[in-house]
Formats: sequence, structure tokens, C-alpha cells
Amino acid sequence: MRDIAEVMEELKAAPYTEREVCAPHTGVIRFADVKEGDRVSGFTGTWKEIPGTHIATITREKNPRKVLASERGVLQKLYRELDGSFVEAGTPLGVIRHYLTRQEVVSKLLKESLYAFCAPERAKYYFVPDVDKKVKILGCRTVSIHDGMELFIVSRMKREVPLCYSGPAGIIYDVYFDQTKNVDSGSPLIVVCPPEQQSAVEDVVARVQSEWNEGE
Amino acid sequence: MNKQHKVLIANRGEIAVRIIQACVKLGLDFVCVHTAEDACSGHVALAREIGGEKSLYRISSYHDANELLSVADESGATAVHPGYGFFAEDFRFARRVTERERPLVFLGPSWRVIRDLGDKINTKRLARSLGVPTVPGSDRPIYDELEAEKIARSLFDFQMQQGIARPLVLVKASAGGGGMGIEEVYDIDMFRQVYRRIRNYAMRQFKDEGVLIEQRIKDFNHLEVQVLSDRTGRHPVHFGTRNCSIQSTGRQKRLEVAPGFDPSSIKYDFDAAALLDEIVMHSLNMARKVGYDSVGTWEWIVTRDGQPFLMEVNTRIQVENGVSAAISRVKGKEVDLIAEQIRTGLGDPLGYTQDDITFNGVGVEYRIIAEDPDNGFSPWVGDITRFSWDEHEWCRVHTHVPPATPEHPYTIPTEFDPNLALAIIWGKDLAEVTAHGLAFLDTLRLEGHDGKGEPLKSNVEFLKKKTERMLRF
Amino acid sequence: MMEWEKQLHQLADRLCYLKDIFPGKHEEDIALLETRLNDTRRKLETCSAEEAQAEMTSLEDLFFFMECKLEDKLTPMDKVRIVRHPHRICLRDILENVYDNYTEIGGQGEHTNDPAMVIARAYITRKRHGKVYHQPVLVMGHEKGHGEEFRNGGSAKPWGNAKAKHYMGVAETEGIPIHAYVFTPGGYPLEDYPGAAQQIARNIYEMAGLTVPLIAVFSEGGSGGAEAISLADKRLMFSHGYYSVISPEGAAAIEGHLRGGARASADLVERCARDLHLTAEDNLKFGYIDKIIQEPVLGARPYHYEFFRTIRQEVIRATDEVVLSARGLAPLRAATLRRFRDRELNLDEFSVRWDLSRKARQRLVEMRQNKFIKASHRECQNRRSIMGRLGDAWSEQWWEIYNRLIYDFYHRNRRTFSNLLEEIGSEWEMLKLRAMKPWNRLHGKTEEPAGNTEELTTLSEWEEDNHSGWAWVSPKAREDRAVSCPYSAQRGCMDMWAPDLYNEFAGVCSSCGHHFPMEYQWIMNNCFDANSLYEFNTEVEAGNPLHFPGFDEKIAEAKRKTGLKSGCITFEARLDGVQVVVAILVGSFRGGSVGVAEGSKFVAAADRARRKRYPFIVYCHGTAGIRIQEGTHGVIQMPRCTVAVRRYIESGGLYLVLYDTKSYGGPVASFLGCAFYQFAIRSSDIGFAGPGVIKNTTGIDIPPDHHNCYKALSRGHIQGVWDRRDVRANLRQALETMGGRNLYYR
Repeated sequence: MRDIAEVMEELKAAPYTEREVCAPHTGVIRFADVKEGDRVSGFTGTWKEIPGTHIATITREKNPRKVLASERGVLQKLYRELDGSFVEAGTPLGVIRHYLTRQEVVSKLLKESLYAFCAPERAKYYFVPDVDKKVKILGCRTVSIHDGMELFIVSRMKREVPLCYSGPAGIIYDVYFDQTKNVDSGSPLIVVCPPEQQSAVEDVVARVQSEWNEGE
Repeated sequence: MNKQHKVLIANRGEIAVRIIQACVKLGLDFVCVHTAEDACSGHVALAREIGGEKSLYRISSYHDANELLSVADESGATAVHPGYGFFAEDFRFARRVTERERPLVFLGPSWRVIRDLGDKINTKRLARSLGVPTVPGSDRPIYDELEAEKIARSLFDFQMQQGIARPLVLVKASAGGGGMGIEEVYDIDMFRQVYRRIRNYAMRQFKDEGVLIEQRIKDFNHLEVQVLSDRTGRHPVHFGTRNCSIQSTGRQKRLEVAPGFDPSSIKYDFDAAALLDEIVMHSLNMARKVGYDSVGTWEWIVTRDGQPFLMEVNTRIQVENGVSAAISRVKGKEVDLIAEQIRTGLGDPLGYTQDDITFNGVGVEYRIIAEDPDNGFSPWVGDITRFSWDEHEWCRVHTHVPPATPEHPYTIPTEFDPNLALAIIWGKDLAEVTAHGLAFLDTLRLEGHDGKGEPLKSNVEFLKKKTERMLRF
Repeated sequence: MMEWEKQLHQLADRLCYLKDIFPGKHEEDIALLETRLNDTRRKLETCSAEEAQAEMTSLEDLFFFMECKLEDKLTPMDKVRIVRHPHRICLRDILENVYDNYTEIGGQGEHTNDPAMVIARAYITRKRHGKVYHQPVLVMGHEKGHGEEFRNGGSAKPWGNAKAKHYMGVAETEGIPIHAYVFTPGGYPLEDYPGAAQQIARNIYEMAGLTVPLIAVFSEGGSGGAEAISLADKRLMFSHGYYSVISPEGAAAIEGHLRGGARASADLVERCARDLHLTAEDNLKFGYIDKIIQEPVLGARPYHYEFFRTIRQEVIRATDEVVLSARGLAPLRAATLRRFRDRELNLDEFSVRWDLSRKARQRLVEMRQNKFIKASHRECQNRRSIMGRLGDAWSEQWWEIYNRLIYDFYHRNRRTFSNLLEEIGSEWEMLKLRAMKPWNRLHGKTEEPAGNTEELTTLSEWEEDNHSGWAWVSPKAREDRAVSCPYSAQRGCMDMWAPDLYNEFAGVCSSCGHHFPMEYQWIMNNCFDANSLYEFNTEVEAGNPLHFPGFDEKIAEAKRKTGLKSGCITFEARLDGVQVVVAILVGSFRGGSVGVAEGSKFVAAADRARRKRYPFIVYCHGTAGIRIQEGTHGVIQMPRCTVAVRRYIESGGLYLVLYDTKSYGGPVASFLGCAFYQFAIRSSDIGFAGPGVIKNTTGIDIPPDHHNCYKALSRGHIQGVWDRRDVRANLRQALETMGGRNLYYR
């Protein structure tokens, strides 16, 4: 656990993330009407129902699919030379420079300052069904956990085994995994906020709200 | 055979390596696919070494037919080899491959054969129509409770007549599969209750109330007949039998032996030689009847008193094909079943008959897997730092694990089956092959550690233990 | 000066009103009035009393003259603006001025579940031979409240309509007439329980069989919202009101292909208002209203007290007429009726009792039903020959007689007879059993033989129903291409190959179960017995009854593209041998919109099913609502078809609706939504207004799955969600287990 101010300064020094836009699968790429330097947005709307900026169209087996920007930012690079060519799955098509939002900053700060429960091995993780339901409907902060509680299901090699939480009791403050993707061994799955720390956490949030200006 | 063909290898790991090797042997061009997780797999390295970068494509998933076909078109492939698993027994994939605007050769049976033999009920009925023994019980979905109970009752009576001490009846959803919707009954009074439960489950799950009622056979050996036929489908030949009875608790094969029994050194309660002949004959009869036109395996179970029952037909190349090849010679020469599958699949006639196939010795295949046999065979994940074995002329190892050192370990991908390697050992008789096998396992060096620094777990000890029990009932 | 202030102020109001009604039109006239008003105001400050009097009179005359002049030039859109103006009379004004005493029930100001719908118990006091009679009525209607915010412009929410339906029931129980005042721009398109479409459908269904006189008065008749309280015995209409399928702006947005709330030009809106034929004269001509109540110049405002007296006379007259005609036309009553036509008669001085006997109530309902069944009959284009029609009429009669004979006579008596036989039979069995008992015991009946082992190991007989696939396969299955599931991002579905998806998978995503839209032919040809389809009424064609500009070509184009003559296909078919009548609303024919042709075919199909005692299945492949280019000819199909449905259901049939793809608007809010058995094919959307319309009219952002069939199921709108591949089996099950007692196979 680190000092919040210190992490915050670090983030302020480098308030951007750069994310590659990759081909989701093989196919022939046609870029849309965008160019380097354009502003793009990710999914927006109350229900994230409005699709992000159209960056390219990838056609495979006569089925065109739009490649959309996944987050708000500026198109820093666009590999236009790929236009019209067949690409492999995962080929980078461009780079979005994304200015961290307040929420992302909070999430990063908490990861550093709260107790993080990490993946013991590389695998896919998900919550046990009743917790999963609660997280999906009411949000993760309604779930309080304690040491030894059966919390996760670890899925790998087509087998599923339960995993117990170990660490301080508290509520799940944030979730860092996506159940469709592999989590590397040692990366945090959740951060846990013990009741006595809750006010401190709220301070962090308030501080970010006031100190962090959402650029671009 | 037309050497202009180019084969898309729609698989990964060990089988992909062997298909590449078969293509090279046949002088065919090939193209390989891999996912991001599999970038370090041996099949990728081999493809790069032989075919260069142009023979390799990164795709998003091995399960996505669209990826495979778009790579096929882009690379100019003309045929697809599905390997085993993934699309090997998917008749829709086979149909799509052959019926699309730019058709490709599917290196496997025609899609109709895959569909018909993939249907449990259809296979059982076909077998019965040819007088092939099948598991006693119904050969069509039963919808009527009274009829179901009548069958169950006669199954209990039947087993009593056979002198089975604890007769068992199996009730399963006819539309089900993979162990879902299946339950045992040991008492006829319980039958109705179980029947209704399965029927309701089937209705919910598969929208079909049909239920199959069969005898539950315990205490059996799992035998297979290796069949091969060219595209004419008229003259199937066999490459002997295999015994695959040594399995993990989850019914996964771990050790296979060819031939299926060894009456020359082990005494059985029945005429083992005659039994092997019988199941081979039945398998070939069925293959001829359906016009089987590729490699395939007829799976049998044989009870302790020597009764065979056909279980199912696997319409694909199998992992353990090498062990059959190890004991077979065609016109005195070694045979590669994968190459034969590709060669005949591309339209070549078989070029020999059963009379040209001879058998010699005993073969064993070990599946070397990072797993913990003492703990329900749960897979082990981590880095392999060392994997090597002594070379012998009686031993052949197929693996996709690249040479690993403590400096350059190989991380086992978590997405796939945890197979590391197949070792095929040959001996002129059972005693020799047992000795060879133990010698191989003793000198095998397989080391590694996981994220917590714990050492690698494997099934080598399990295989050693089982080597001594091979082919015994 | 002070003494004129009030009058000046009033004139200024009238001027403002003119400006509002005629935005950007008649500017010279209005400017003239304005100058004169200002002149007068200035003059009044200095001039003498007499001069002032003269000035004022001349100014008032000028105003009146101008207003009369503008009245003659009123366009339909001007009338729409008059109706919408906050100064227009509202329901409270009517309650105050038309009735002698009223009590609002179920609400007080904003303290009610829906302030846009007001219910009141009121009295009309009439004298006869010096005796005073208080005649109670139930008054209901939309309250615009002169623009009060919480009234929501008279747009009733679903629960407001539910309230109306509840009090209709009260009036029915108490046997008092209902006066319904329609002041609504349309129903509020909320899907929250009970759901806009669903509730309107229930209301219409209720009114189709309501046994008390119902008089509706239209001021602003906005489509579905208006229909929710207006399936009446008499429909009166204010002369400056409008009754339309859609607001002119809405029509303009559709005509101009505008998206996302973009505004149509004033010119286009004006044109659409004209083309929709929404005025009182138009609707009187079509026969969808019975009488026009003449309003003062440029529309009624609260100070037009004379007008309220007219309304009073007219609603009393209408109620009397309805009551008397329901009582039957005995000679005496005929004479009374004739006297009513005399406009000069003061109905306050005269009294007709408004209660009805049971028989008269039946007759009342029957007359109302006939009235609506016949509505728009003239507009229907039927190309069937005279001989063909004669044949149809004959066959209808024959079925009537046949059913009488078979069901009412033969079956009833046969049942008695067979019951008797059965009882005798079982007596005999008992006797036999008793007699044989000693003998049986002696011989010890042999057990049934043990199971044959042969059976367990050899091939059994089995007639497998051929799994060779669907009888009808979509042409989309011929394309060699991959198709993505729209939920692939969330649910990880892989692309499917079109020939697999559209053939074997029946358009269902093999991993998540999402149902892709399929052609209507899929259900039509895969869910009924092979070669059992017999289509009827094929000669009825969709037309352009309003001569809506440019619509002839569009209809012709739809006919060419689909090969159909209208958006409704009606046929008889068998389902595992059971005869059924089926109507399909084809989503690909002008969006599945319903106009006169579709409504007429629907009514005929319901009638056919009733006569033949067949189940009546409606497959709504998709509908966008009422066909707006047909105006009120389209809207009237809502009550009309609902009446046909009610008649069918009450005759003891099974009316089942199956929704697919997207079903919105009028049809769902009437004859589809009123079914007791409504099912939806998975992934279909059901609702009142589409997401865009909701956003535009209410400003509420709705989630993307707002109209999803599972939401409709949770709200209690539909009774179940079906997998497309199970439709046949589920229909079979429904035929066996649902519906009334008078189906031919029961």
C-alpha cells in the first residue's frame, strides 16, 4: 500500500494511457473516414447503447464488422497502410491516446492503496453464483467478504475449482477482472475496503473529484 | 495424387505437428494457424521452420470456423485437415467447407457420414440392422411410460438370466450427450421415478421427451478398431485393434495398447483372438454399409466374459492412431495413418488391400500430461523448464512442447487440454514392450514449477504403475 | 380609461390568440388589428366617454369582422393549433357549464394517479310536467387544464386509462350512461404496468361489450389515446376539433424521412395536416363521427357560454336517441325519436329515462358492434366478382345452419345418449366380474409373459419422423456468407454460416438463442400441416382511400415487392388435423401497418372462425402500427377489429396472438393486445411506441431492451415467450388446452 499523494503525482505526470485498436479477428481491413488526430469516443449513452466512433470495417467470410473505438480520446496513430489488406487477428490498426477519467484514476489509486486480492495463477476467474448475481444487480460495493469465504471460481483447462478469499474483512470496492479473459498470476482481482478504511477511501474519491481535471 | 493441393491445418499442438510432418512427407504445401496464447507452441515453430512466415496465421480462436476459412481463402488452401477435437466431428463444418462458393476438400469422412454416425440412435439401429451386437436395450427414443417400464423390466430379467449379480439399467435422454441427463437404476421399483425425472430433464433441456433405456454394463474393457478407406468407400481396411481401458477417473484415456488383447501371453476367460476377429469384421461391415471414406474408429466394450458391444463410431483421426501404425506394415513398409488419411482424402485410391497389411509386435502409447493423478487428475499449470528423453529406435515421441531450459521455460497455455506429449513404444511382444516402456519412463526428464514455486506434477508415476497391468482384464 | 381597460385587455388577448393560431400567416390582417388596438388605446386616454364608446364598438366590430374573415380561411393545421391552444375549453369548463352538478371522483386536482384523466359523477337536471328529474351520468375525459404542467397535455398514462376502464365498470353496474370527452393528443407511450398498448386494448375491448349508453365527444382525437374512451354509440365532434391517426408533425417527420427528433418544415406539416383529412367535416363524411357541434368563430373558449348550452343539448339529445333506439322501435318511440330531430325542442324541458332493460342492453351492444363492424366498409377495395360474393354469402349461411344442427342439436343429444350407454356397459362389467370370480380364482390367472430378450438386442420397428429439416427455407440460406449475432460482443457468440443459420437453426443463434428476424413464410409454411393452407379473401386490396399524395406508388411498390395485395393474409389451415383460421400481419408489407384492407380481412377472418367454430390464430409477423396515410380510416380499424374479436371470443372460440419481430402501435393497442392468449417469439419487441417516438414525446431515455418480449412478459402483457422452433408444438398444445367451449373439436 502506497501513499495516495505520491501515486496521484505520478498519475498527474503521465495522465494518459495509450491503447491499441486491434483487429478482433482475421479479415480485410477498410478504414473509415477518420484520420490521425481525430477525437474518438467509446460507447456512450445511459446504457452504453450508442456505439463508439467507427474506425474501420473488417470483412471476413463476406461479413463486414465495424471496429469501434473502445474509449474516449485522440487517435494518435492510424496504420493506414493496412487499408485493403488481409490482417491477422490482433493486428494493431491504430492507437488511441486516452486521458484518464476521474473514475479510472480512483480505480488506479485504490488498487495501490487498498488491499488487493491477487490471482494465484493464470486462469479465468468469476464470482460464485450468488455473489455474481449481487454484483451484477446491486454493484460490488454491496458485497461484504471475510477471510476464508468461498468467493471465486477459477476456470482453466476446462476445469473449475473454487477459490477462497483470504485477507481482511470488508466490502469489495472494485473489480479488476473480466470473466471472459485470462488473468495473469499476481494481478489484482478485487480490492477490499475494510469498514474502518471507508472514510479514507471516500477522501480519495473526493480528492480526485476536485484535483483531477478530465482533459480532452 | 495432385501435389498442387495446400492443406490448412485447423488444429494445434501435437496433432498439428504430425499433420505438418505428414504433409511434408507427401510433398504437400500447408498452412498453419495459431492463437495469441499459442504463439510459443511447437507446431508454430515447426511451421515457421518448414514453411516460413507465409505458412502461419494468427487467428482469434480455433473454435471459429470463419477464421479458419478466411485464412484458407487468403492463403489459397484447397483442403482442410481438422485433426481431432475442435471441428473434427462437426458435420456442419464439413458441409460448409465442401459446399461453400470456394469449396475445399475436407480431410475426413463426407459430412453425411459424420452426421449419420454422430447420431447415437442412428448408429445403434444401423448396427442392429447388420447384426452387429449393441448394448441391450431400446434402439429408439421411448415416449411412453408403460413401454419404458416394460423394457426396463425385461432388461432386469435379461441380466438375471445372464447371472449378473447386481443388474443395472441406464436411463438417458435420447437427445443428450456428454454424460448429461443420464441416471442408473438398480431396482425396478425406482424406475418410474427416475424415468420421469430424466424425461422432464430432457424436455426442459432438449425439448424432446425421448428417453433411451439400456443395460448398464460394468467391468469391461474398452477396445477400438482402426479403419481406413479411400473416397470410393467400397474397400475399407483395418489396422488392427487397440485396448484403451486405462483411463483417468474422468474417463480420459491415458495409456493405449495395440493389439487389443494378447492371447499369446495372457490367459483370458474367452477366446480373445476370435473376439478381436469378430469386432474387426463387424466394424468393416458397417464401414462398407455406410460407404465410409476416411479414417475412423469403431469403439467397442468387451465384458469380462467376452461379449462385445458396439458403443460408437469416431469419425476422425484419433490421438492414439500412432500406436496402431506402430504394429502395422503395408507391404512390409511402415505406415503413417495421418498421411494415409490426407492421401486418400485428396482422392488417391488406397492402393492396397487387407492382405497387404501385416501386424507385428505390441505397441504402447503413453499420454504424458502435467496433472496430479492423486488429486482427481486435476491439471497442473506452470512453466516447464526441462523436458527430454533418451532416443531409441523403439520409441517415438510426439510433442508440441518446444525444447525448454530454465532460462527459456515453456508456459503451459490454460485454454486447452493439458497434454504435453505422446510417447509410442514398440516391442516384439508384451514382455519387451513393458520393459521398453518402463525404461522410457524411468529416463524421462520432465521438470518445472508453478507460480508459487511448487514443482511440476505429472502422470509419469501413474503410467509406470499401469504399464505392468496392460492388457489384463 | 379604467373602465375600458378590461375590454381592451380582452381584445389584446384575442389578438394574441390570433397570433398563436396563425403563426406567420395573415400578417397584414393581424397587423391591422394591432395598429387599430394601439390607436384606440392611445385615443382613449384623451377622448370623451361617447367617443370612447364609439371607438370601442367600432374596434370590437372590426375584431369580429376580421375573426369571421379568418374563420373562413381556416386550414386543417390552424384547427390543430386552435385545439392545442391553452385557451381552448377544457373538460373542467364543460363539467362546470354543461352539467348541473358534478363531483370529481378518483382524483382532486393533481392528487390522482393520472391528472390527465378525469372522472366525475354528474347530474343533468331536466323538467317534465313541472317535475324535476336528476339524471346521473358518468363523465370521463382527458383534462388539459389550460396548459397546467401536471396534466401532461391530456396525454393519459396507462394507469389513467385503467382508471377510466374501472369506472366504466362502475357505470355499467349502476346502469348510468357515460359521456366521454376526448381531449388528447395521444396516449402517453409508457410501457410501465399496465402498459400503454395493453391498457388501451383492454379499454377498447371493455367498451365493445359495455351495456350502458356511451356518448363520446371529440375535441382533440389523437389516435390510440382517443380510442381508449371513444368506442361509443354516438360520437359527436366539435367543429374545430381534429381526429387523426397521428399528429401532423409526426406525419411530416415520417413523410420527410426525418430522424432523431429533427423538425419538419411548417409547410410540410401544413400539407400533412391537410392530407390526413383530420377535420370534423372529413370525419363526418367518412362516418366515423355522427354529428358536428358547431363552435363559435375561431373555436370555443371558456367565455363562450352559449356554446356550453349547445353541448348540453347535443349530449342530451345523443343520449336520448341511443337509449330510445336501444329500447326498440315501437311506434310511440319512433314518434318521439322523430321529435328529437327537431332542433328547436329544448331538451331540458323534456325527459327520457336513461335506464335500460336487460334486453335493451343487449340490443344496445349489438347495435354498437354493428356500427363499428360496418365502419370503413365502403373504403374497402374488394375485387371479388358478384357471383363470388353471392357464393360467399350462401356458404356463410350454410355454415350457420350446419353448426346449429351439428353442435346445438346433434352433439348435445349424443352426449346424453353415450353417457347412458357407458353406464350400462360398466354395470355389465361389474356383473360379469362378480360372476366369474370363483372360476378365476380356481385357475389362477397366468402372469404376463416375461420380457422378450430378442427385443432388447435386435432392431425394433420405428417410424422416425423425418428430421430432414424445415418444409420452407428462407432464401437467405442460399448465400455463402457469415452472419454475426447482434449480441456477439456481450455473449461471445461466434459468427454463423448463413446456410446453417437460416435453414437448420431456423434463424436462432446457436450459442445465445437470439432469434434473427425471419420471413413470414417461415411460420406460415413450417407450423401447419403440409398442403393444408387455403387462402381466402385474396381479392381484397390495400388502396389509398385518402388519396394521400404519392402513396399510390408506395402501395404499388409494396405489392410488387411482396407479391401480396395487402399486409394481411388470411387462410384456413390444419394443425395436426385440427382446422384453424389464421391471419398474418406481414411485417414486410409497408411495415405491417394496418389500413382498411387489412382490417376488413381481419374482421372477415374472425367472422369465418366464429361461424365455423375454428380456433382463430393471428400471427403478427410485425406491425409498425396503423397505416398513417389512411388517416382515420386506419384508426377506426382499432375499435372495428376489436369488436370482431370480442364477438368471436364471446362465441366461445380460441383467439391466440403470436408476435414476432417488432409489433408496435394501434394494432397492439387494440385487437392484438386484447387477446387472452398472447405469445411472443423470442427476441421480438412489443410496445406502444417505438424508442424514437418515446424519446421525442416524453423526453425519457429508455433502455435498449425496453420493448423486449421478456419485459412484456414481466409486465403481464403477454402470456409466454416461445422459441421459434417450438411454435408448432406450442400451438398444438394451446389448441388442446386453451380457449372457450364452442370449438368444433371439443
